[in-house]
Amino acid sequence: MPIEFKELSYVYDEGMPFAHHALNKIDLAIEEGIVTAIVGKTGSGKSTMIEHLNALLLPSEGSLKILDHTIIAKEKNTNLKALRQKVGLVFQFSEYQLFEETIIKDVSFGPKNFGASEEEAVLKAKEALKLVGLDESYYERSPLNLSGGQKRRVAIAGILAMDPSIIVLDEPTAGLDPKGASEMMSIFKTLNKDYQKTIILVTHDNELVYDFADEVVLLDGGEVKAKLKCEDFFSDQTLIDTYKIVLPKIVALRNMLKEKGFKGLDEVRDIEELVERVVDFE
Amino acid sequence: MNKIVFGKYLPLNSPIHHLDPRAKILAMLVMLVAVFMPAGWYGYIVIAIILSIVTMIAKIKFSYIYRSFKPMMMMVIFLLIINILSFKEGVLLLDLGFLTVYSNALFQTFYIAVRLILMIMITTLLTFTTKPLDLTLGIEYVLGPFTRFGLPTHEIAMIISIALRFIPTIIEETMRIMNSQKSRGVDFEEGKLKEKVMAIVSLIVPLFSVAFQRADELANAMEARGYVPGEERTRYKQLKYTKNDFILLAGSFLVLAMVIVLAFVI
Ligand SMILES: Nc1ncnc2c1ncn2[C@@H]1O[C@H](COP(=O)(O)OP(=O)(O)O)[C@@H](O)[C@H]1O
Ligand SMILES: [Mg+2]
Repeated sequence: MPIEFKELSYVYDEGMPFAHHALNKIDLAIEEGIVTAIVGKTGSGKSTMIEHLNALLLPSEGSLKILDHTIIAKEKNTNLKALRQKVGLVFQFSEYQLFEETIIKDVSFGPKNFGASEEEAVLKAKEALKLVGLDESYYERSPLNLSGGQKRRVAIAGILAMDPSIIVLDEPTAGLDPKGASEMMSIFKTLNKDYQKTIILVTHDNELVYDFADEVVLLDGGEVKAKLKCEDFFSDQTLIDTYKIVLPKIVALRNMLKEKGFKGLDEVRDIEELVERVVDFE
Repeated sequence: MNKIVFGKYLPLNSPIHHLDPRAKILAMLVMLVAVFMPAGWYGYIVIAIILSIVTMIAKIKFSYIYRSFKPMMMMVIFLLIINILSFKEGVLLLDLGFLTVYSNALFQTFYIAVRLILMIMITTLLTFTTKPLDLTLGIEYVLGPFTRFGLPTHEIAMIISIALRFIPTIIEETMRIMNSQKSRGVDFEEGKLKEKVMAIVSLIVPLFSVAFQRADELANAMEARGYVPGEERTRYKQLKYTKNDFILLAGSFLVLAMVIVLAFVI
């Protein structure tokens, strides 16, 4: 397992009267090469959990294994920079991290920090920008006067240019329109399928979860409540009732059809195909 | 960054928390004046004991007060160096040939450090026990008499309250941007000078950009809700003095009187 949480707890403002237990004895393993979605309501600890993945937060208790790094609570942890190169973390509203005069400079900032030469860094930046769909005409423009969606693409390119093997995304589609969100997600799909990147995606949009994730981890009150294959997650009735999970439209429709007596629709993910099956039924 | 306690409000339930902010601000000013009096050790010991009692009544752990001293340590060390270099009186404690240390240098530093500590204790006690909004309201009332001389008290209080309100937001933004840049390999702790400068630039530029954006949004939101500077405004919350407020004020004036007696009469 490339990522393993072992009894990991995290307390904000430890020792203060307003100390807050954000994570409680997390035990979790995340597989390589797949897309794992982390879901749960606001305040359930999703952001706190993923900030551990590149050691921005260090565990208050327990330990965490990421690739060949092990981080243990209350021990001196070294070589965090090497870890940060391998785990690219894209923050919620990542557009705020832009600061250089030109887009190409901003995107090549990451690789340069990790020791790439100027030429290498620019090369990687160009590749990353192409991946997020920004062509040469953008290279010399200022990142600060782009539209919100474009800024976010630049910010994501800035992480991709570091060539991490694990990419962690915190609400990458927050504030984007459905079309923008879907385009954004296809970028990550490509990264997973064509570049074999491990993707960890935090979101509260279950449509996106259903369309893109292989595995789903449910957090609630700082605890892992479930870790299931995507299809199993959305058909686990107890889980859905207990945590009031909003079903993706197609799953909800399938369930309704099933109630009306249609059979053999399980795992049909495409609306057209569903329609065909229903028409052909009898 | 999360460890900063100076200026924070601690939401506890104590008699000190319930005092009128105006009374607390006035008492703070009186106590600060008292600390400035050259009252000698006895005066400072009495002030320290009284402040400790107030801290206990406010249910604040001494470790928090202690934490707010930490940023001051650098200043004290700097002061000590200056004093060692400039004070050449008293008993010779150490002679390294090129450097001599006299007792008065240590004594003077200690004296100033004690004053600083008392001043920080007084101001943190105020911010620990007073909600930012109450503080603003209190400031506005305390400044009230100066309206006559053309001082825009309401505007000043509004500016202070917005500034206070935005301190946590800005700290949060700073943390967030720092984290983003750390993820991109920026090292804020170590590195050569050039890397350090780059690290700071990568923090400052987005921070300014966010701050201006926030300011713009806030201005629009205030205008949309009909805020006009200088216009007469009514208040939802009315301040009222209670018995405890008078005890606090009387107590602080008593301390000041005592210190003056110690300093100038005896
Ligand atoms: N910097 C912080 N200081 C104190 N508490 C925090 C901080 N960040 C988050 N929290 C608290 O920790 C809990 C989990 O937050 P978070 O991980 O951001 O949740 P999510 O991303 O799932 O919305 C929340 O209750 C939140 O209030
Ligand atoms: Mg979050």
